[in-house]
Amino acid sequence: MIIAERKPIDEILGFLSKHQKVLVLGCGGCVTVCLAGGEKEVGILGSELAMARSKEGRPLEVVQKTIERQCDFEYLEGIRHIVKDVDAILSLACGIGIQTCAEAFPDKIVWPGVNTKFLGVNLNVGVWAERCQACGQCVLDKTGGICPVARCSKSIFNGPCGGSQNGKCEVDPDTDCAWALIHDRLARLGEVDSLREIMAIKDWSFSRDGGPRKLVREDLELESGK
Amino acid sequence: MSADANFQPKIVVFACENSGWLAAEHAASLGLSYPERVELIKLPCSGKIDVIYFMKALEKSDGTMIMACQQENCKFLKGNVRAAQRVRQTQNLLKEIGIEEDRVGIFYLAANMGHKFVEIVQNFYDKMRELGPNPGKVIK
Repeated sequence: MIIAERKPIDEILGFLSKHQKVLVLGCGGCVTVCLAGGEKEVGILGSELAMARSKEGRPLEVVQKTIERQCDFEYLEGIRHIVKDVDAILSLACGIGIQTCAEAFPDKIVWPGVNTKFLGVNLNVGVWAERCQACGQCVLDKTGGICPVARCSKSIFNGPCGGSQNGKCEVDPDTDCAWALIHDRLARLGEVDSLREIMAIKDWSFSRDGGPRKLVREDLELESGK
Repeated sequence: MSADANFQPKIVVFACENSGWLAAEHAASLGLSYPERVELIKLPCSGKIDVIYFMKALEKSDGTMIMACQQENCKFLKGNVRAAQRVRQTQNLLKEIGIEEDRVGIFYLAANMGHKFVEIVQNFYDKMRELGPNPGKVIK
């Protein structure tokens, strides 16, 4: 899922300084699961903002709403009547949701309430780790289901590098060396010999090197084009 | 002490139904009294408390607290531990926006401690009187 973290309150208060009525808009998707922008976080932040502004003597009316997903236009369409009555929207969705919201409501200011961090997994309560960089050409078949692009600090193929020490990365001793993990897992599966095959240089044209990416599946398109 | 000598704080008390709530009933059975602007809310366990409840309570009050079972004596094992964690989380949020963190607290007691219940409420009430009105109160 997409992992996000709420922005510092001072930054958010700065965004909203000129507004009197805002919609704090949560998302029921990834940010709910990673406890950054779901219904509960909307409620807590809404209270915090209202109290902070009340303390300043400049009351802020906070409308709170959480929709199923902010990255789908149809869910945003359902709150158009709420949006028309507020000065601005503070979106607690990931960067995708924030942009979709801004696109859906072109005449309304949309502020980001979270910093979108990475695509990752929940390891423990309050602990998340990166697992995917959406590079566009998955190599997990060759690496025992452990991604060298996202989990090796240097994104190298055919690792490990000389900085791997006792299964840890030289960049951060708290980070497992992805290539040590790959080796150990393939050894466990009896497939370690597959590492003798040299992986070709990665074709980054599937990643961001070709600019913003777009996926079109003609098999799914309807007559209307939507 | 608050500048307004007549200031009567409003306090929201969340109480575990296995301790704080029963202690309040015990206090009532003993004919003990406590300040009138105290709202009691029963919870099935102190672990049911959440940051959002504290924050919503503080929007309309001067202080809020959770009354939990004695430490290591929670019927659900860790409810009072979780409650203490949520008190700390709420205190951090209050600190972020410059509101006194003492406006939220956790207190431990047992079901048969009616006197202790009144003492805790009275002390907290007095503390809120010292702090004065909650500057962040939204619903006046």
